[in-house]
Amino acid sequence: MLPYLANAADIDAAALIGGLKRELPARTAYTEVRFSHMYDHALIARGELEYLGPGQLGKRVDSPYQETTTIVDGEVTLQRGKRKPRQISLERVPELEGFLRGFSALLGGDVAAVQRDFELTSSGDTSQWRLRLAPRDPRLKKRIDAIEVDGSADSARCFSILDADDDASIMLVEGLATATLPEPLTRRKVESACRGGVAAQ
Amino acid sequence: MTAAMRRLVLLVGWIGVLAVVTAYTVHTLKLSTDLRSFMPPAQTADQKLLMEQIGEGPGSRLLLLAISGADEARLAEISRSFVAALRADPHFSQAINGEFDAGMLDERLLPYRYLLSSSFDEAPLDESVLADELSQRVEDLGSPAATLLKPLLPRDPTLEIMKLAERWSPPKAPLVRDGVWFSPEGEALLLVQTRAAGFDPAAQGEAIDAIHAAFDASRGAQADASLVISGPGYFTVLVNASTRGESEWLGRISTVGFIVLLLLAYRSVAVLGLAALPIASGALAGVAAIAAVFGTMHGITLAFGFTLLGVAQEYPIRLLSHRRAGETALESVRGLWPLLLTAIASACIAYLAFFASGVTGLMQLAVFTISGLLVAGFSTRYLLPRVLPAKFRDAADTPGLGAVWNWLESLPRPRWLPPLLLAIAALMLGSASTPFWQNDLAALTPVPQDLMKREGRLRAALGAPDVRYLLIVEAADAEGVLELSEKVSPRIDALVAQGAVGAAELPSRYLPSLATQRARQSRLPDRAALETMLASASADLPFRQGLFAPFVDDVETARSLEPLTPARFASSPIGARIEAMLVKRGDHWLGLGTIIGMQDPAAFDALATETNDAVRLLDLKGASESLVAAYRERILRAFGIAIVLLVATVFIAFRDLHRAWHVLAPMTLATILVLAVLRFGGTSLSLFHLVALTLAAGLGLHYALFFERTTPDAAEARRTLHATLVCVISALLVFALLAWSSLPVLRAIGLTVSLGVGFHFCLSILMARKGRARDAG
Repeated sequence: MLPYLANAADIDAAALIGGLKRELPARTAYTEVRFSHMYDHALIARGELEYLGPGQLGKRVDSPYQETTTIVDGEVTLQRGKRKPRQISLERVPELEGFLRGFSALLGGDVAAVQRDFELTSSGDTSQWRLRLAPRDPRLKKRIDAIEVDGSADSARCFSILDADDDASIMLVEGLATATLPEPLTRRKVESACRGGVAAQ
Repeated sequence: MTAAMRRLVLLVGWIGVLAVVTAYTVHTLKLSTDLRSFMPPAQTADQKLLMEQIGEGPGSRLLLLAISGADEARLAEISRSFVAALRADPHFSQAINGEFDAGMLDERLLPYRYLLSSSFDEAPLDESVLADELSQRVEDLGSPAATLLKPLLPRDPTLEIMKLAERWSPPKAPLVRDGVWFSPEGEALLLVQTRAAGFDPAAQGEAIDAIHAAFDASRGAQADASLVISGPGYFTVLVNASTRGESEWLGRISTVGFIVLLLLAYRSVAVLGLAALPIASGALAGVAAIAAVFGTMHGITLAFGFTLLGVAQEYPIRLLSHRRAGETALESVRGLWPLLLTAIASACIAYLAFFASGVTGLMQLAVFTISGLLVAGFSTRYLLPRVLPAKFRDAADTPGLGAVWNWLESLPRPRWLPPLLLAIAALMLGSASTPFWQNDLAALTPVPQDLMKREGRLRAALGAPDVRYLLIVEAADAEGVLELSEKVSPRIDALVAQGAVGAAELPSRYLPSLATQRARQSRLPDRAALETMLASASADLPFRQGLFAPFVDDVETARSLEPLTPARFASSPIGARIEAMLVKRGDHWLGLGTIIGMQDPAAFDALATETNDAVRLLDLKGASESLVAAYRERILRAFGIAIVLLVATVFIAFRDLHRAWHVLAPMTLATILVLAVLRFGGTSLSLFHLVALTLAAGLGLHYALFFERTTPDAAEARRTLHATLVCVISALLVFALLAWSSLPVLRAIGLTVSLGVGFHFCLSILMARKGRARDAG
């Protein structure tokens, strides 16, 4: 426990989030590994994440299928392959809106906004930290346990969305996005990669 | 027993009988507020449907609710608990606030989704369709909506439940914020459907109370949050309350005025109380007669009946004014009785015509008025004189009365005046430009402009169906209605596309016909085929083996289900909606489609022609107006007969053409003048005007009868004038006040009677016979 106490002073959640702020537009390639009880093996998707300012997020999937999702102020536009774009209003699902608002605030480095929708805890030290965002909205809580961000210094390595039913989607970003994925592809191995395991290999 | 004792015993006995009758009627009589019992039997098919649907059409049972006064999140929270409370309340058949309601199809009915959904009509559920759907699900699981979809996927990988929910959501869905409906102005919106008919004020009042109670419970600590209700049922309650409130308020003023008038005229408190007994007896007798004959009484009968019974107030006033020294009250009333009896008999005989009309409401009115007038008349003749105190003031000695009499007598009575007035009246009638009849009964009890505006705003924001139009789909049975509405629904879609109508909901939107369901069933793959296509469709996808077993089971179940009928569907919330849209009428069935945002009713004509009127637009307003017109025709016919009977009675009573003419001519001319003034002022006539004209004519008959009576005794002539003046002033007190009312219905009655009283009084003096005794003093 002692090292944790010693480090606690160093990693202030607010400062970490502040440090995540990038110049706009911020873009990063990602590799997403989805673990689901519905799947018999993990699904790997690759593409690009985009942050264009408060409330504006973009996610492009390049493989295994083509999809572009843009979120502007609660309006989600979904474009798949050559199909007509679909508009989905998040007003119908308020818990999702809170989720995306929090996510967007996280990328924008807006601590206050993150804390409105999530309970914020942090652990680790500056070289290897973890932020945990647990939703405050009881409806969202039923669906999502937490969003976790792993990183070192002022850059994030992984964004993990931990579903309430134990499914998880782990997005490896920046440096890790292009790294080779561990074999066999298990959740534990991917998680340890997020904590610097791959870099250490 | 002394005379005083006898009086007291009789009085106590009289009041005792009234109390017993009151107790009897309160116990037996049910007051109905349903407009239909006051309506004539319907003639056309549309009228028949209207009679059934008036207030029961899906649109008119809707109440629109808006909550404001807190921030969005709190309003949404209130909306959620409010809608839950309303759903549990038996007053409402439906309560929605925009929340996605996965319970729309209950567990038991879930396999039916493959029979209800049109997803596989164009391309059947085969390997390529399934592969496409499954790969979309993989993509969905990577999207923000993943956590919502996950619970549905194993059972419903093609998302039929979502597609049905979308199909069943209101065609013009409002804005959704924080999961519930909001107006552009930021109020949380809800839509509830009452079980009670829209135009039943009593039942709607209960429903509205239930809404307020549910809201108070739901808003909890949010004391600032306030609720606004709108919709036809709410307006019915509101208009009823404001009409009652205003007439009670005006009634109180005129009662005070009436009391002051009687005190001034007769200078006795005891007389004041006793004079009320005959009319109270008459009213009670009328109500009791209806209780005995019909059991229920319509609110309108009661209101109209009390208005018409106003004539009876004349009877005690005549007696009181005509008392004179050296004569007991009994002797005075004997002297008056022939005239009073003529008045009572002619009115009663005239009202017999209403009894013959065949319309329950009018028959009740006749029973009420006839028994009321008879009891008021006979109690004035046989009871009132026996309880009046022996001491009285001779009305002939009222100061100033002699001067008024002399002035009235000295007025010129040119013979050319009546024809001139008639000519002027004809000119005025001819120059009126407004329609003669007001067929829209709602125009008489209008809803305040700002509430109408709010109603329009909320209705538009909620996309709620039109109250005025229904799309009728008629067939031999329920299945036929569903088949026909499936057949015409592309045509309706085309009308929507060309802008003739904002949206329309046909019964087939909620339940496909048996034929369609069977066709869908027959195209579903069997278990083996589905398992094979599932295996190859998901070969390249990460889904684990056996994940979709619940889906395979449901499809297999769906293949052998007995198709859904409205009855089998009825237990679910959507089933309740389809049940409300299908009505059995005699040996055939009607589907009631709702219309949202009607732009061009004429565009539906072609559809009606093509389907031989099996699919047609019903304009409830048009149908109700034609019903009112038909109703009025019957009333007018009754009036025609009543006039003939009245004239005959007066002639028979007098057995003298000349005298009868002097009674009937001023009455007729005065009635024509009232009509002329009303029409010249731009008034379109309604039933209420007709009732008021009848009352005025009844009063006019009294004035004419008594002024026509010549007497050599100047004092007796002054007593006649006294009685008539008290009657005229008391009638004006009541009805001139009503004429100032803000409500057109009260104004119509008040203005008509006031004008009538004025004209009848003046003309009965100016057209009276010459050669009456002049006052010497």
